[in-house]
Amino acid sequence: MLITGIKSKPVYAPLRADAGGRYHLMLGIGPGGIALLRVLAEMRGSAPDAIKNTRLLFAANTPAADAADTVAQFKQIGLGSVSLFDDPASLLDTFRTVLDESLMGTRLYVAGPESFIGLAMKIALQFDLNKDEIRAEEMGTLARRVYCVHCRTTTEEVRTNIVRCAGCERWLQVRDHYSRRLAAYMGVMVDAEAPGEVPPVKEVFV
Amino acid sequence: MNDAQTLAVEVTAIEQVTPLIKHFKLGSADGGALPAFSGGSHIIVVMRGALRMHRNPYSLLSSPRDLDHYEIGVRRMEESRGGSHFMHDRVHVGSRLEIAHPVNLFGLDKIARKHVLIAGGIGITPFLAQIEDLHGAAVPYELHYSVRSPEHAAFLSRLREREGERLKMYYDSEGQAIDFDGLLSNQPLGTHVYVCGPAGLIDRVVATAKACGWPGSHIHWEQFSAPPVGDAFEVFLARAKLTVHVPPDQSLLESIEAAGVEVPYLCRGGVCGFCQTRVLELDGELVHNDHFLSDADKAQGKNIMPCVSRARCKHLVLDL
Repeated sequence: MLITGIKSKPVYAPLRADAGGRYHLMLGIGPGGIALLRVLAEMRGSAPDAIKNTRLLFAANTPAADAADTVAQFKQIGLGSVSLFDDPASLLDTFRTVLDESLMGTRLYVAGPESFIGLAMKIALQFDLNKDEIRAEEMGTLARRVYCVHCRTTTEEVRTNIVRCAGCERWLQVRDHYSRRLAAYMGVMVDAEAPGEVPPVKEVFV
Repeated sequence: MNDAQTLAVEVTAIEQVTPLIKHFKLGSADGGALPAFSGGSHIIVVMRGALRMHRNPYSLLSSPRDLDHYEIGVRRMEESRGGSHFMHDRVHVGSRLEIAHPVNLFGLDKIARKHVLIAGGIGITPFLAQIEDLHGAAVPYELHYSVRSPEHAAFLSRLREREGERLKMYYDSEGQAIDFDGLLSNQPLGTHVYVCGPAGLIDRVVATAKACGWPGSHIHWEQFSAPPVGDAFEVFLARAKLTVHVPPDQSLLESIEAAGVEVPYLCRGGVCGFCQTRVLELDGELVHNDHFLSDADKAQGKNIMPCVSRARCKHLVLDL
């Protein structure tokens, strides 16, 4: 019983190279690497100079062997720089430092799970990057970050329509209502009207 | 906006600040506080000349925190249609004028991480008010001010005193020019650029910023076009059932107003889009002089901005 038609739900589109940019910054997690390789192939055809002005941050986030081929391809393309990370959190730490020294004319490309895109966007927003400068493609799990509107705790990796809040333990209904500032969907107590009556919990964000 | 909504003001001081620019101080005619505004706003000054009315937009250059008076700078235009000459020659301390409420079409971006302000000549005026807003904020900014020669640098002592290192002057007479590429290729993420001045300066800044990869949402500019002169033509107003003659040196909007038909307007300079009017019939061509309609819209010819645009036509019907 997700409430649909909520406009804050982010919409993503397949990544395309942005010829208007002078510098390109790419972030990828796991299977997102494949989307980035596709953009780089497009760039090689349309704007070869853009490749050496591209900085790429990547975390395999899966058994490293699965991403070995992607990483090998990144290294062959002739990118300005490639940095590899063990996990999304350390990638995002570096992302913040990179943004701090980046110049106007930079375009950001993000490919990975939606929760990662949200966290990257949240940081980008603090640097006043807007929709003209950011492109994102969803690749990987749809698991959500859910913000409890009652106790303000964010519960990570939520795959079900209803989830127990990691902070206050209320049963929360996961809404499509999304906050870019918090990089999370809103969770609202599901049994507030009829305590104890919790509808069936189903796995919906896989 | 129409004339019923104007404010009465009195000129309280006039200073000739350069050979071409006069600085006017306006106070409310009833002595009360004037309406609040934000940096970058302009007012329309309504001038009732002997032969005709002029309504010209002027940026407010005074501090938004001071509502006891407004200040404007008026450059005497060589090819004036009368408005700037009226202000320079006919307005004295104690003169009463009507103005329209301030409107801001050139506001600062509130979440920018840095502002780069670029002024050419009289284009310095909106920035004088904006930097008053910026003084209270922690966001860095720099002001680049280009003029033909030192004697034409209006408000320079006030700027030097307040801005110090943030102000960079460029004098054409000494061969100094803004290094647009150097300036715009080296700004941190989250910077916004603002430019006000002659069309050539605005075009250079916009083109250079785009070449450096800046998205349009980080580029801001304002230029009030004076309505260009053109051929005389006639227009039929479909709803008023009235034929109006537009002489060469009067704008379409002014001619319609002189015939007693009110058209909503804000900037009267081809910027805001408020006076956009539907073209119902046309035998001839529209002469678009505004900065509001896209090139595609202009080519389509379905709409016109009567404040600055005209027509070369045998027959024109507007939805008014």
